[in-house]
Amino acid sequence: MTAIAQRDPRRSTDFMFAPLLSGSGKLLLHLALLAIGLAYIFPFIWMAGSALKTNSEFFSAGINPFPAAPQWNNFLIAWNEASFSRYMFNTVFTTVVTTLLVIWFTSMAGYALGKLHMPGKKYLLVAIGVLFFLPAGYTIIPVIEIVRTLGLMNTYWAVIITATAGGMLFNTFLFTGYMRTIPNELEEAAVIDGATLWQRYLFIILPLARPMVATVGLFTFMSNWNSFFGPLVFTLGAPELRTLAVGMFAFVGATSRDWPLLCMGATISIVPIVAVYIFLQRYFIEAFAGAVKS
Amino acid sequence: MSSQIASTPSQVALRPGKRAVPKHIRNEMIGSWLFVLPMLTLTLMFSIYPIFRSLQITMYNWYGFGQPDQYVGLRHFQSVLTDKWFWNAFGNTLQYAVVLVPIQLTLALILALILTNPRMRFTSFYRTVYFMPVVTSVAIVAIVVRMMLQRAATPLSEMAGTNINPLGPDFAMWSVIGFGMWHSFGYNLVYFMAALATVPEELYDAAKVDGANWFQRLYYVTLPGIRPVATIILFFAILGSMQVFEQSFALTGGGPYFASEVVSGYIYRYVFGSGGVAAQGGTTVNLGYASAASFIMNILILSITLGQLLITRQRNRN
Repeated sequence: MTAIAQRDPRRSTDFMFAPLLSGSGKLLLHLALLAIGLAYIFPFIWMAGSALKTNSEFFSAGINPFPAAPQWNNFLIAWNEASFSRYMFNTVFTTVVTTLLVIWFTSMAGYALGKLHMPGKKYLLVAIGVLFFLPAGYTIIPVIEIVRTLGLMNTYWAVIITATAGGMLFNTFLFTGYMRTIPNELEEAAVIDGATLWQRYLFIILPLARPMVATVGLFTFMSNWNSFFGPLVFTLGAPELRTLAVGMFAFVGATSRDWPLLCMGATISIVPIVAVYIFLQRYFIEAFAGAVKS
Repeated sequence: MSSQIASTPSQVALRPGKRAVPKHIRNEMIGSWLFVLPMLTLTLMFSIYPIFRSLQITMYNWYGFGQPDQYVGLRHFQSVLTDKWFWNAFGNTLQYAVVLVPIQLTLALILALILTNPRMRFTSFYRTVYFMPVVTSVAIVAIVVRMMLQRAATPLSEMAGTNINPLGPDFAMWSVIGFGMWHSFGYNLVYFMAALATVPEELYDAAKVDGANWFQRLYYVTLPGIRPVATIILFFAILGSMQVFEQSFALTGGGPYFASEVVSGYIYRYVFGSGGVAAQGGTTVNLGYASAASFIMNILILSITLGQLLITRQRNRN
């Protein structure tokens, strides 16, 4: 990432689009990028604006995003009466617990596979690699069956445990790679001091693996905040457990006439994750860029 | 083994007798398996077992309650393969991938080239903007875009002079494709930017000294330089678009009248009886049939993946 941001401008060559990047051409390029960028985030602008419209204005305004007189009350209605406060709590709870579990389980597994003296390690790594290539998307029926057998249908744990399971392979793979790069000296010292395996993991390895913990955490948080299918399937019979995305979907069916409220619900759902993104955007982009490189 | 703790000279010397394995190594051999246990258990339960179980379910009629006990053999496979709505959904899925992948990757590469140009300013601002849809929920944003497209139908029709409904039978699939392209564009932008950063600058300098113009540098330095990563990007893009679901499910509900139904939506209908925002009910739940359709789709995707691997291998050899 730093390599992208900090290419030495003096050494760097004007290798690309050099013809475009002189004087007025440069200005035109910026104008084009800005205009397309504005169009690019227009759905979000329209969503936030429409969330503050009255119902009749929603229909008369076409795709003009700006409300004549902002109806701030819409927020209160969506938050309280349309249960979005409840959905928000459910989403935060399941997402945070899932993220912590994924970090915990995959960092432990990555530590064992990347650093420890483990009999059969080679075979396990090959098995993980093979599983990686199998498209896992369509096994929902047996998963529902297992969740039912465990008596977890329509509980938070159904959502959490299946989401955690879904994050295992890829993140174990990321952690295994990262653990290999951690030097052994500190651990050797700890072994001499009689530290247990658990202590080595908790007090030496985990702090050293912080960058990968951040990457995996961010990935998992984002994908679970946005996940739809799992929470939809496992909370079909429990409306009080719906997450934001599922709540939105149910809301479309229930109040399909109150469109500004739908936009308000969407805005409430999306603003937190976009805020996190803008605040931590460097880490987000590093995480994605890092994943493709490894 | 790769654990360096074991390979200090004194310990290696102790190795030959089994009893001589140091205590902390023995602890590691047991402890490491305890450390992978949670990961392994969850993977076995929710990833591996389901593969075999769904294979078994394909051979039964199962209407969603009780146990699957009505054995039908391989009949479901035959029914899926001869169902024109399965092929309709598969055609739509294929159309999604075939249209989306080349256009999106080309545009992402062009923008990545612009944004990695060292003379370019405000690049992180543009990157933030173009990446933004990626962090938002496909399902929620699709519902918003659905509302917006409904609002846009009238102005669009006035502009075009004919009746245009972006969610109507002629345009629904294109709306799904456009929406998907918009939403996941940022991934490929960032991937390409990361790939471009790995091309050594010395190569550009050398090319410049040789008098190569910008196009020649692009063609002979940049593109070969990013090819290994580009192969992976292409791989993920194809795999991802073949598994398209929410884009269709939440934007058009697969409608109108299955015009934009993708395979995942088709399977969903047989699992839950209805599907999508526009909720086309009336499909008879049959988990055995749905499993057979899933299995066939998995095979189709797997063969595309393997095909791509083979082509890459072949090319690398030449």
